Amino acid sequence: MQFLSRCIGLPVRDPSGEPLGSIADLIVAIGGKYPPVTGLVVRTDQRRIFIPWRDVASFDTKGARLRVRTIDVGKFRQRDNEILLKANLLDKQIVDIDGRKVVRVNDLSLDDIEGRLRLVAVDVGAAGLLRRLGVEGPFRTIARNIHASMPERYIDWEDVDPLDTTIASVRLRVPHARLAELHPADLASIIEDLAPRDRAGVLASLDDEALADVVEEMEPDTQVDVLEDLSPERAADILEEMSPDDAADLVADLDQETRDEILALMEKDEADEVQELLGYEEDSAGGLMTTEFIALEEHVTAGEAIERLRELEPDAETIYYLYVTSDEGHLVGVLSLRDLIIARPETLIRDVMTDEPVAVVVTASQEEVAEVVAHYNLLAVPVVDEHNVLMGIVTVDDAIDTVIPTAWKKRLPRVFTR
Amino acid sequence: MTGIPGRPKPSTTTTPAAPATARRTAAAGALTAPPERAARRRRAGVLRPMPHLPHWRVRLIASLAVLGPGLVSGFADNDAGGITTYSLAGANFGYQLLWVILASQVVLFFTQEVGARLGLATGKGLISLIRERWGVRWTVFAAFLMLTANLGSIVAEFAGIGSALGIFGVPPQISAAVAAVVVVAFIALGSYSRVQYLFVAVGIMVSVAYVFSAVLAQPDWSLAASSMFHPTFSSSPVYWLAVVGTVGTTITPWGQAFIQSYVADKGLRPDDLPASRVDVFAGSLLTNVIAAFIVIACAATLYANGLKITSAADAAQALEPIAGAAATFVFAIGLLGASFLGLGVVPLSSAYTTCEAFGWETGVNWNWREAPAFYGLLAFFIGFAALFVMIPGLPLISVMFAAQVLNALLLPFVLVFVMLLASDKQLMGPLVSGRYLAPIGWLATALLVVLSLILVVTSVTGI
Repeated sequence: MQFLSRCIGLPVRDPSGEPLGSIADLIVAIGGKYPPVTGLVVRTDQRRIFIPWRDVASFDTKGARLRVRTIDVGKFRQRDNEILLKANLLDKQIVDIDGRKVVRVNDLSLDDIEGRLRLVAVDVGAAGLLRRLGVEGPFRTIARNIHASMPERYIDWEDVDPLDTTIASVRLRVPHARLAELHPADLASIIEDLAPRDRAGVLASLDDEALADVVEEMEPDTQVDVLEDLSPERAADILEEMSPDDAADLVADLDQETRDEILALMEKDEADEVQELLGYEEDSAGGLMTTEFIALEEHVTAGEAIERLRELEPDAETIYYLYVTSDEGHLVGVLSLRDLIIARPETLIRDVMTDEPVAVVVTASQEEVAEVVAHYNLLAVPVVDEHNVLMGIVTVDDAIDTVIPTAWKKRLPRVFTR
Repeated sequence: MTGIPGRPKPSTTTTPAAPATARRTAAAGALTAPPERAARRRRAGVLRPMPHLPHWRVRLIASLAVLGPGLVSGFADNDAGGITTYSLAGANFGYQLLWVILASQVVLFFTQEVGARLGLATGKGLISLIRERWGVRWTVFAAFLMLTANLGSIVAEFAGIGSALGIFGVPPQISAAVAAVVVVAFIALGSYSRVQYLFVAVGIMVSVAYVFSAVLAQPDWSLAASSMFHPTFSSSPVYWLAVVGTVGTTITPWGQAFIQSYVADKGLRPDDLPASRVDVFAGSLLTNVIAAFIVIACAATLYANGLKITSAADAAQALEPIAGAAATFVFAIGLLGASFLGLGVVPLSSAYTTCEAFGWETGVNWNWREAPAFYGLLAFFIGFAALFVMIPGLPLISVMFAAQVLNALLLPFVLVFVMLLASDKQLMGPLVSGRYLAPIGWLATALLVVLSLILVVTSVTGI
């Protein structure tokens, strides 16, 4: 096993042992499990030259020895799938997929696997820092004498997602495939940790639905930043994928110009819903509610209702309560998914529903909504207008936000009084 | 929209749910969002370009309406060390050092502008950029410089609390211990950002008090004005020490890192540059107007009567023209507020930026076990500073001043990193220091190096 920091500066010799220069960087081709080294960047007296790996006869802790006498001194051009280990990775930030956080690369570990020298792990521990400072040896001696263990931490390359680097002139095309496996909430906090420039590549790699899930989990400030970074067309697509109440909250934070531009690009239905929700006070039931809910007419049978649910494939969040309305849209009852399933198919839902369900009016304060939800142990509470017409529902997570204010605590590490 | 229609869809709408039809109609009056809603929801302090306000004056007012990074940074410059150093300058040299205030203002604007530009272009903190550009060794060097300077500042804040409470007869040992507990409690409870407004308000109050005091003390305005534009030099080491201290309290390594992180953390972007420049200019102007009035107030009261400052109570006499018998009280409260304002920001931001550069877990939402380096640094800063101030018989005013000199001596090294980064085309893109700003930045750095050298030379030859 070798460390990149130990390889940099090692001499490069020609077949007869004459020194040509020193190793300035290592190149790997990403894509596979452990990226193989594909070449060396060598610093000679005059310039930096590229040596393909097939021309390297041996490579060890003493340095590299070449197989060929003649070298092509043409300028090195980085290919799309290639990373310069020192220039693009060392000291940069990466995402630790297993640990679900952003960490900094202290060193890189290389090893021979299947006959090729490959990048196998990223050193993010204190041992790597000490190595870079040239004092790893003394510290190991001390640690051994006091029977302490060196604080070492490595992340397998498989569990690493490299970010687009800031300093490199080349824009890396990193697939970010593994990021999509993370829980949206974890990915959201990772993206919040990144500099805006690093975000772009990650955002581009996610599909609309995945990105919408992630955006919903972000702090309001970051949501705005992220949306403004996207093209208006993509931003509109993302908002369409978000639940209308979250989308409306986000749109309300945009400046007027951006808001108009994005709303105009959205599907008419979705834009109308967002526009409508924007009309309510932010901290009222109207401002908290989502318009995604299931409403049944009272004379539908249980069998028909289940059939309709199948056709509509509603989102999981909204399926547990089914609201029953009269022909005029008035809220007349509620039944749970359980009630619906155990009812005989030919039963009218009017006969199995709970009459006069608990509801709040659109102008109710957030505290009132939270109280109702807590008091009746509801997953969601219906919202009606002054004529008892069903307008939307407030789900429990949105309702209790006031009672359990966690947002400010999350924002704490940002010391600078945001 | 998910809905189950229970009857044929009305022909007038394409939405699947019947209830939705009713809803639409009911809410038709409220289809557009009232504009004040967006304004209310925007977090205070976010500075954005204002494309709809073409007139520059409107923009200026809009920029000032929110406390931008430059203003915050400029304001935080007048902390315990700042008030003390400006007071000393006025009390010991009268109006003579006013030119230093003006010169620092110019240099401060340009260094803060570079810092803001780095933040806008990269979205990263200073030490992180040093790490990515120059690797671990230089980062350790830079972090050591920054932390040493910041530790000096934190000691100065504790000394400020010690001397402020000393006016009321509280021994520094007790005030330092209490202050340490209070700061730790604020940080642990996460309520610092709220009480910070209180400290800012106290700071504004004291600044205004100095302005009025200076006017009421009937200073020699023409002499003050000519001193501001006509530098007078002296070969005395004491004079150069005062010059360096005054510069060191205005332009700090800490302020340099702070403006950059603040801009980056606020998510400002390259096209916010014009607004950021206005904000940085306003911040450096504010700092130095207040500094000038502190100097003038002290010159017209203390210097005119041949009084020297050896304790906070002496310095407080500069406020007598406005506050009369309450001068010491007003000064003590002001010094206390300024000290706590500094303590709320410097230790946390130092620990935060250092940990970020080394890739350690940062932030108060981790626990001790998860983020030992972060809390270790915090504990070290606060513990060291509190214990240091407890040394019996320590001249607190001199400690505060010495911390500013230390800051000034370390500053040029930090600025070299800053200027090199800002001239990097690959890193900065269109915001790179160009034909004018690059030479100005290097000139400012060179001036500070020369100043430090003069101090060293005069100190050596003067003894």
